[in-house]
Amino acid sequence: MTSGKFLRTVFFVEILKGLGVTFRTLFTPPVTRRYPKVKVPAKPGFRGLHALAKNADGKLKCVGCGLCGAYCPSKCIYIYTVEGEDHNKVVDRYEIDVLRCIFCGFCVEACPFGAITLSEHYEYSNSSRQAFYMTKDKLLENWDKYFAGPKGERYFRDFWQPKSGNFTGGEGQAMFSKVKLKEKK
Amino acid sequence: MKEMVDGIIGAGGFQMIINIVIILLKIAAVVAVALLHVAYATYWERKVIGHMQVRLGPREVGPFGLFQPFADGIKLFFKEDIIPANADKPLFYIAPVIFFVAALTSLSVLPFFDGFVIANINVGILFLFAMSSLGAYGIVLSGWSSNSKYAFLGGMRSASQIISYEIAMGLSLVGVMMLAGSLNLTDIVKAQQQYPLGVFAIPQILGFFVFVVAAFAETNRLPFDLPEAESELVAGYFTEYSGFRFALFFLGEYTGMLIMSAIAALCFLGGWGLPAFITANVPHILAQVLGLFWFLIKVYAFMFFYYWIRATLPRYRYDQLMAIGWKLLIPLALANIVLTGLVKIWVKGIL
Repeated sequence: MTSGKFLRTVFFVEILKGLGVTFRTLFTPPVTRRYPKVKVPAKPGFRGLHALAKNADGKLKCVGCGLCGAYCPSKCIYIYTVEGEDHNKVVDRYEIDVLRCIFCGFCVEACPFGAITLSEHYEYSNSSRQAFYMTKDKLLENWDKYFAGPKGERYFRDFWQPKSGNFTGGEGQAMFSKVKLKEKK
Repeated sequence: MKEMVDGIIGAGGFQMIINIVIILLKIAAVVAVALLHVAYATYWERKVIGHMQVRLGPREVGPFGLFQPFADGIKLFFKEDIIPANADKPLFYIAPVIFFVAALTSLSVLPFFDGFVIANINVGILFLFAMSSLGAYGIVLSGWSSNSKYAFLGGMRSASQIISYEIAMGLSLVGVMMLAGSLNLTDIVKAQQQYPLGVFAIPQILGFFVFVVAAFAETNRLPFDLPEAESELVAGYFTEYSGFRFALFFLGEYTGMLIMSAIAALCFLGGWGLPAFITANVPHILAQVLGLFWFLIKVYAFMFFYYWIRATLPRYRYDQLMAIGWKLLIPLALANIVLTGLVKIWVKGIL
């Protein structure tokens, strides 16, 4: 043991340094977020509870193509379509099992019509499983609750653009992922 | 009145009754104030450690969480009192009481300001040692009677730890006794007045260091909290205790911390002793009050040091604990005694 190391041991230099650190942190502002009292607003693009978008007429945007269900990694989107009166396709049931959803946002990216969205709402705890099984009516209701007014427009402007022909993102598009796809040559 | 009482009990009986009443009032005041201090010691500890860990600490009950200790107390009071099926019931009942009573009894010999002490006995320090050793019985018995391996290991560790550190602690205070020439805590405080800054901590710097380390070990606080090491022994010796029996251990531990802080303040930091120019120029009663505050500030500072260390240091390993106790603290304390004795003989005029 060198004399310097010996002196450092005798006078507890390391412990005193540690005490200095804790004493300094005593006067730094705490990082605690007092959650139920003070809520931090979700960042734009937060992926919370699902909602089905309505068009200008207040009708369902979804056409029932099933791309979202096909993309969904946890296979929690169930779409049932029937034949309408003038032989068009009508979405009969559109259901999401939210408890199985992993909130990856692939359904939003896959949708060619901007029909499925993920809202900024995240406080929806419940004591029954049934409350988390979202039917078409509930999902449309969510749109009115969480995307009323300009919020919905802004969501599609910033976070949804249909894929172009070569599967690259749109110009200046704020994607959920920051991964840039390679342009096809 | 006086004649009547004297007539019944005998000469001087009235005076005796008056004295007993005064002592009872003193005891009530000291216990009430000490328990209030214990309650807020827990609150203050949680606040200090919280902020040192960049958290907030208690905030919800009352303004700034100030009623948190009472909420905790009420919660503990109404909790179910569980006794393990195969516990040794009489010992299980009596162990927390021994621990708590030993801690509270130590309060009786502490002088809080000049002339205020419940029992002004001439072996004050020895009495404190005896009580802190008695507290170890509560711990060992609780560990033994719980019939649980965690409690048992905690109790065994506590026994060996307290035996090891009791020696170092006793030896560390021998220097103080030699300088003061007395075991009475009031005399020790008065003897410090003629030393620089009115404290023994400077001439007895080695003894003070040994005392501080031993005090941490005696009260089972970090970094020597092996008897109740959460990550190894669940909660150590009081693993099986719940409800108010647990609260007794909790109160006893914090009372023990307050007593260790008070001993440090009285024996090394000058107690209530104010500089002569203050005591000479203010009325006697004001000097008493200032002395009490001066003493309390020292106690609080030492308590803060307890929390500060707890927020900083991790737990020592068991063999390290024993090595520090036997290979470092006891030799240091012995060296301190020899040095103090030599200095006292050779340079009588200086010290």
